[in-house]
Amino acid sequence: MEEEIKKIKDISISEIKNCSSKKELEELKVKYLGKKGELTLVLRGMGKLSPEERPVIGSLVNKVRDELNNLFVNKEKELNKEELQKRLKTENIDVTEPSKKIVLGSLHPITQIIKEVEEIFLGMGYEIADGPEVEKAIYNFDKLNTPPDHPARDIQDTFYVNDDIVLRSQTSPVQARVMEEKKPPIKIICPGAVYRSDSVDATHSPVFHQIEGLVVDKNISMTDLKGTLEMFAKKCLGENTKIRFRPHHFPFTEPSAEADVSCFVCGGKGCKVCKGEGWIELLGCGMVHPNVLKNCGIDPDVYSGFAFGFGVERIAMAKFGIEDMRLLFENDVRFLKQF
Amino acid sequence: MKASREWLEEYSDIDVDTIKLGDILTMTGSKVEEIIEKGKDIKNVVVGKILEIKKHPDADKLVVTKVDVGTEKIQIVTGAKNIKENDIIPIAKDGAELPGGKKIVRSPLRGVDSCGMMCSVGELGLDIKDYKDQIEDGIMILPSSYEKYLGKDIVEVLNLREDIIDFEITPNRPDCLSIEGLGRETSASLGVKFKNPRKNLDELKVEDKKELEGLRVDITAPDLCYRYVARIVKDVKIGESPEWMQRRLKACGVRSINNIVDITNYVMLELGQPMHAFDINSIKGKHITVRRAKNDEKIITLDEQERILNENNLVIADEEKPVAIAGVMGGLNSEIENDTKTVVFESAVFYGGSVRKTAKQVGLRTESSSRYEKGLSPENAMRAANRAVELVELLGAGKAVEGKIDVYPTKQKINKIKLDVDRINSLLGTSISKDEMIKILGNLDIKVEDDYVVSPYFRMDLEFLADIAEEIARFYGYDKLDTTLVNAEATLGVRTKEQKIEQKIENVLVNSGLSEIYTYGFVGQKDLEKSKIKEELVKNAIEISNPLSDEFKLMRPTTIPSMMQILALNNNRKNQNVKLFDISRNYRNINGEVEKGEIPLEENILTIGMYGEDVDFYTLKGLIENVLEVSSVNHYDVVKETNNNSYHPGRCANIKVGIDVIATIGEVHPEVLENYDINKRCYLAEVNITKIVKYSKANKKYEEVPKFPAVERDIAIVVDEDVEVGSIENIITKKAKRLLKGKKGLEELKLFDIYRDKKLGEGKKSVAYSLIFRDKTKSLSDEEINPVMEEIIKELEEKFNATLRK
Repeated sequence: MEEEIKKIKDISISEIKNCSSKKELEELKVKYLGKKGELTLVLRGMGKLSPEERPVIGSLVNKVRDELNNLFVNKEKELNKEELQKRLKTENIDVTEPSKKIVLGSLHPITQIIKEVEEIFLGMGYEIADGPEVEKAIYNFDKLNTPPDHPARDIQDTFYVNDDIVLRSQTSPVQARVMEEKKPPIKIICPGAVYRSDSVDATHSPVFHQIEGLVVDKNISMTDLKGTLEMFAKKCLGENTKIRFRPHHFPFTEPSAEADVSCFVCGGKGCKVCKGEGWIELLGCGMVHPNVLKNCGIDPDVYSGFAFGFGVERIAMAKFGIEDMRLLFENDVRFLKQF
Repeated sequence: MKASREWLEEYSDIDVDTIKLGDILTMTGSKVEEIIEKGKDIKNVVVGKILEIKKHPDADKLVVTKVDVGTEKIQIVTGAKNIKENDIIPIAKDGAELPGGKKIVRSPLRGVDSCGMMCSVGELGLDIKDYKDQIEDGIMILPSSYEKYLGKDIVEVLNLREDIIDFEITPNRPDCLSIEGLGRETSASLGVKFKNPRKNLDELKVEDKKELEGLRVDITAPDLCYRYVARIVKDVKIGESPEWMQRRLKACGVRSINNIVDITNYVMLELGQPMHAFDINSIKGKHITVRRAKNDEKIITLDEQERILNENNLVIADEEKPVAIAGVMGGLNSEIENDTKTVVFESAVFYGGSVRKTAKQVGLRTESSSRYEKGLSPENAMRAANRAVELVELLGAGKAVEGKIDVYPTKQKINKIKLDVDRINSLLGTSISKDEMIKILGNLDIKVEDDYVVSPYFRMDLEFLADIAEEIARFYGYDKLDTTLVNAEATLGVRTKEQKIEQKIENVLVNSGLSEIYTYGFVGQKDLEKSKIKEELVKNAIEISNPLSDEFKLMRPTTIPSMMQILALNNNRKNQNVKLFDISRNYRNINGEVEKGEIPLEENILTIGMYGEDVDFYTLKGLIENVLEVSSVNHYDVVKETNNNSYHPGRCANIKVGIDVIATIGEVHPEVLENYDINKRCYLAEVNITKIVKYSKANKKYEEVPKFPAVERDIAIVVDEDVEVGSIENIITKKAKRLLKGKKGLEELKLFDIYRDKKLGEGKKSVAYSLIFRDKTKSLSDEEINPVMEEIIKELEEKFNATLRK
């Protein structure tokens, strides 16, 4: 009996070892350990043994069974691993093949600049204000210290609907509207479309976009204006950007300035964008004219403020290297997708 | 305003080069547009004398010359026809440079060595009109007396070197439209003495007369004419003005006419006061009246154009007719002629606004009108009149008549502004001392008396403390201003609800593959027609009274034409798969607002335009649903629209909240596509963001994730083709709601198949739904759901004549 068991053991061990598939392994398991398996049959045949032999043989059979069980488990693991290796090999892919995705669209370069500027000023506690494009002349001009006969009305050629209604030639009327509605402190920027009677060419468009800024409170000074704009220029155009103020004139500010920034394309060395000057004219600004404050119901003896305004297209063109303004309004999708 | 450095030097000692001067003046507010350095680009061109001219051995059209250039005798081959031996001419020697970057190098011409070039007027960069005795297509022949300059630099000999600065003068500074004003700025900017060469004019006393040589002056419109000064010169000899005067005029861009006219222009440039000169004999009755024109009164101006005037225009008139349009241009009838003997100099000041309007109305913007419109000083007018007479005598062009006529009904106001040092420093953010302020103002000829700044007559722009602050800041130095940050009450920088919604919508669209476009707010009548915009909307369009062109004539009442134009452009350029959006405005004059001086309705509109392989009505619809979802518009109906002419009548829907249409979506009408030459189906959506904001209700609340299993039932029904699935869904949802109470309900209704087949019958479709029921408190049993399903099916059979597909 013992010999028989040993024989079963030896044969089965070698069979397990040589087994090469899970199916075969399963068959072997049935063959030796199944209900009618060889080892099971040995156990069943134990009835014929003497009482002395039974425990000896029983324990031997159990031992062999445990041993075989272990072998089966290990062999299965081994086979699983082999199988996985095989599968992984067949599942090789070319990772450089095209992806499957929804192709993203794009925000217009003008919007991108506006958003960037908005984020900077939101961070400094400014609100974003808005106003009508078809505007009352009184807001576009009169309240901004530009009465009907003022020569400044000629600087920018305005589109008129009639004597009282114009297409706003600047975003400044929003300033007047906000000042009328709100008490200081006022900190706003207003981006938007403005209209001027310029024919379309590479650098002109009858519609373009401005961003206007206004701060009114007690003790607002021109150095605050300069500091604010410097901060803005650094955040928007690069930390190394420098700002330069030149005296200028606007009817709605006094003192007024034009602000130049060191060229953000060449860093001030002189290039095509800055026409070799190293500086780019960025915006007009100044301290809100006392007449404007008064016209909008704010006491100029108590409050002061600053305002600035600049064209978005010019910045977008310089920043993205767009040489012809018409491209911005032509909206060829091959142009738009680049942003 | 152009000014030559040489003329400015009469006012201040300039100790820097012209480029540097330009930089300094720019930084103090007189912005330099351009600096023209005349003659700087001519190098190594000298005076030469032709000694000998011989035929060229190998070329009929060329000659070989020997030229004395002072230091040596050189050989030059030329094709010039107008030269002869002993001529004195400008010679560009080997290595010479000429305007336009041309370089002269010694080289053989048809085998004969040529060591230079003879120059024409044009080659030296000069204007042939200034050298009337020269010919355009020949060599410049200098006077024989110039032989004494042999070998000398032509730039020096002809005095070609001149620096001209072109300034951009802001409208508040008409005083800087004069050399005197610019001289004052130059002195203050360089910190040197203002030499004030015309000081004598301030002190000159000329007797007032009612009548001068029989001439009388009246002003009947003192609101438009503040002062009229007349002075007279007689025994006038009309001729050329001297070279120095012509040269200065030319540097400023003014052409010389004759001595009297040149004097008027010279005074205007020097002092900023426009002058007019006329022949006393052309004044009927020797009586000048400054009056409003009569309606339809006519005048032929100096440029020989007839101008028709009206009562808003101011004229200088004699007893019969206007002789000048005040401040704009003189009349041909009173022009200075070569035989003019007695000249009246007019130096007047008119109301700027009126001059501006008149100049615009008659379409004549002159040197004179552009100065008047900015508001000139009446005090300066007197100086100018006296200066003109002084110049006539200086030039020997005539004799001054003693006395002046001076009608001065509206005296110039002199402003006195308290010098509030603290307030100025607070406004500028500086700490400039009072003494420094007074010094800066003093450099500008602005006096401070008893702590009050007195605005000088030539600085009419100084009215407020802020104006004084600017003067101080300009010369303290804008570049010296610190950079500080606003130190004030904290404010919150947040986007408004509308701005936030807009941003979310943009994100959805960009993530769905759409590119943003920018369009103009105006359209043409034709665009509205091409897009088949309804008459009632077209009526709302706002007309621009001075449009650039017909295409830009109307403020659009709808954004459709703008989008169609862009789709057409992209299609025309063969761009495939185009998906675009635009967030911009429409403008609607609904109740005649603009006629009443009120602003019209402006709404914020999202416009989507698409074409391409993967686009159809339902992709567009899905996109809009996502837009509404991120905007928190939770309840809306999609309702078929068959009456919008811009859209395909069978493929258009309105999206409504209640009865309010918040969006229209659909396929573009084939006729509209044809109008735009588009050969493929296009899809359009107009979404009213202003309304979306109104209906946006963000009230998201957590709901427990279901614990109990759902019961799912599928049904397929056959209905007529024209039954909208939307109405089927309405019935199912309503019925389920009515039948299931409490925590039980129809959780989801999903259309998973629409099937058409002949076997179903002609004009029929099968619609298959999956219904998911759930009870949030326990497992649902079939017994609970079976009767509900039966009821739903029964209802569908009744309402739509539906049959259940087994």
